[in-house]
Amino acid sequence: MAQPTTVKIVGPAGTGIKSIGRLLSRILAKHRFFLHDYSEYPSLVRGGHNTYQVSFSPQENFAVFRTVDFLFSLQPGHWQEHQKEISPQGLIFSEETPPAGKLKKNFLFFPLSELARDLPPVVANTVSLGAIGFLLNLKKEICQNTLATTFPQAKKENLRAFQKGWEFAQQHWSEKRLPPFSQGKGEKEIVDGNEAFGWGFLKGKGDFYAAYPMTPSTGTLHFLAEKQKEAKIIVRHPEDEIAVANMAAGAAFAGARAAVGTSGGGLALMNETISFCGIAEIGVVFYLVQRVGPATGMPTWTAQGDLLFAVFSGHGEFPKVVIAPGDQKESFQFSWQALNLAAELQTPIIVVSDKFLAESSANFSLEKQQKEVKIKKGKIVINPREDFRRYSWQNKDGCSPRTLPGTKNGEFLANSYEHDQSGFSTENAFVAAKMAQKRMKKLKKALQITPKPQLFGRPKNLIVSWGSTKGSILAAIKNSSKWGFLQIKTLWPLHPEIGKILSQAQKIVLVENNQLGQLETLLKTHFSFSVKKRLLKFTGRPFFPEEIKNELEKI
Amino acid sequence: MNWKKFDTGKTPTWCPGCPNYLLWLALKQSLAELKLKREKIVIAYDIGCAGNMADFIKTYGVHTLHGRAIPVAMGVKYFRPELTVIVVGGDGGIYGEGLNHLVTAARANIDITVLVANNHLYSLTTGQASPTTPKGAASKSTPQGTDLNPLPAVAMVKKVNPQVLAETISPQQHLKEKIKKAIKFPGFALLDIDQTCVTFGKLLRK
Repeated sequence: MAQPTTVKIVGPAGTGIKSIGRLLSRILAKHRFFLHDYSEYPSLVRGGHNTYQVSFSPQENFAVFRTVDFLFSLQPGHWQEHQKEISPQGLIFSEETPPAGKLKKNFLFFPLSELARDLPPVVANTVSLGAIGFLLNLKKEICQNTLATTFPQAKKENLRAFQKGWEFAQQHWSEKRLPPFSQGKGEKEIVDGNEAFGWGFLKGKGDFYAAYPMTPSTGTLHFLAEKQKEAKIIVRHPEDEIAVANMAAGAAFAGARAAVGTSGGGLALMNETISFCGIAEIGVVFYLVQRVGPATGMPTWTAQGDLLFAVFSGHGEFPKVVIAPGDQKESFQFSWQALNLAAELQTPIIVVSDKFLAESSANFSLEKQQKEVKIKKGKIVINPREDFRRYSWQNKDGCSPRTLPGTKNGEFLANSYEHDQSGFSTENAFVAAKMAQKRMKKLKKALQITPKPQLFGRPKNLIVSWGSTKGSILAAIKNSSKWGFLQIKTLWPLHPEIGKILSQAQKIVLVENNQLGQLETLLKTHFSFSVKKRLLKFTGRPFFPEEIKNELEKI
Repeated sequence: MNWKKFDTGKTPTWCPGCPNYLLWLALKQSLAELKLKREKIVIAYDIGCAGNMADFIKTYGVHTLHGRAIPVAMGVKYFRPELTVIVVGGDGGIYGEGLNHLVTAARANIDITVLVANNHLYSLTTGQASPTTPKGAASKSTPQGTDLNPLPAVAMVKKVNPQVLAETISPQQHLKEKIKKAIKFPGFALLDIDQTCVTFGKLLRK
């Protein structure tokens, strides 16, 4: 089966690469291609070097690929740092004299500024979209309709720009045009991971979302803030991450299904509150979108360096759940499921994503996905008796029924101090131990209701990973009879099935976007196994399928 | 209405003669006189001597982390605006650790009432300088005298947002009436209750 086609657009920040890229992804989805996109940008508003790339195919496609078939440089020179990504027949489009040497045959002169001369500068990038549309043999009408609905304000100018690019390509490059594609079965809409999480929050009946802007989690804040009126939810941008977490805890105490969004630095500030939610048994969802650390690190680049930090976040010992979606659909699913887990387990739930997943788009059907949503509210008492004890330790699963403010006879104290069954502070040795045990029982229940590990293919030769590496791994082992893949979806508590699967494997390869192999460290706290090879990448860039495939071939 | 229905049956753990007893009584009486139902009140308590009132008042309550009573209260109020939401804390938590939250609550003019038992000292931790300790005053953490200017919390809050209610009061004078007025105030209210710690307050005397 042929590798998907990959288009890449590069240029300085401020040239609209992201918006034109997103539009191209939308157009490809409307054609029902299976697509995955990815964009890179520095932490600045103007200048620098931005990229967008998309890989699409009428056949099922799991990932964005590194090898580029069509590279568009919106300004001269920007293609240069991507020379090694060009496929042998790949084409480079730029407004400059072709370079001498090997790449000369791949190079096509694209007079972008000439074509855009009588157009408003904001639509200049649409000229390249027109050329791309022609070269990929896309349906012109779908392109035009999507363009018009995406930019209703500058519809006319955009359509004119698109036409210019299309015509130029038609006149000069018709022998380069791809043959028509067969019809695919991909979903017609796209979401990125952050939007998917936002949709999951809305469909999961989330009530309260708070976040302090922090790349790469901010997409969800923007998405929900824009929808708050229509969806009748509360979205707040408080003064700092500490306020974010405590506000969410207050709202959750008052009955809200509450979530917060942040990245590693923000979660560091929220740590004390995670611990507070643990002891006071307040269910809050913490959406952690990782970027490269430590400290400010590389804010707009991807990493999986906060796994152990998330699992061991918060001082003291208390139960928590850490789950990690592997793709956009799981970002949706784990969002509403996390709200359910918070309500049922009354403890912090951390959903770990990363820049690569959160800001990359793929096919998505909200209609299809929302059919799976189930709302679980946990144990809530409406008519408590006068001797109601909020933190009763009678329940086998450690989850004692709660009351919400407004409920008569249900008054109780949610306490950051150790407390008795009514919530009053205590330093009694017996009560303290009993309460700690009561809370920890929730981990057992969590094993029953959190996402199970998923095995793809056979476990004899096994890739083990978590989170956003899923797509590239699946693409790398597509049609392989040799390799299977174990996706760990719940990172805490660890499901015993993981141990069983690992024990059947002869060769284990670990794939992680971090330096230390944190998943291996974590798994070894519970299971004994040995790793044949570790593929660790900590450059701020995600894994591409080609890299994984090459490494597997060496084993 | 009987204010005793706000008792939890727990005996306060404050030192004999602590001004927090006055605050405790006045708050319960205020709630009773305003005819508020126990279940319709949420009190967020900070950490410190005043915050320990959490065990002694029967309403819905959250004994929060140090400095974080205000954002917890704001979260409750945003989600359940029909509830009466009160914060009880000291100068350490509200003016020190959580000062950013005080400023934000005033900017928001959110309808919560913040009662600060301001004894110019960290007392639960046995007497260190607080944000309102007078400059030059010696304490256990500043034996040579604190070199920081005291925080003019009320003036600052009023400057941030002139629409809010903010005043410094003495625990002996009309405390109950002031609390009732603050709770009824349709916006953010800060009562800065000027106290002297009966145990460690002598540290501040020069």
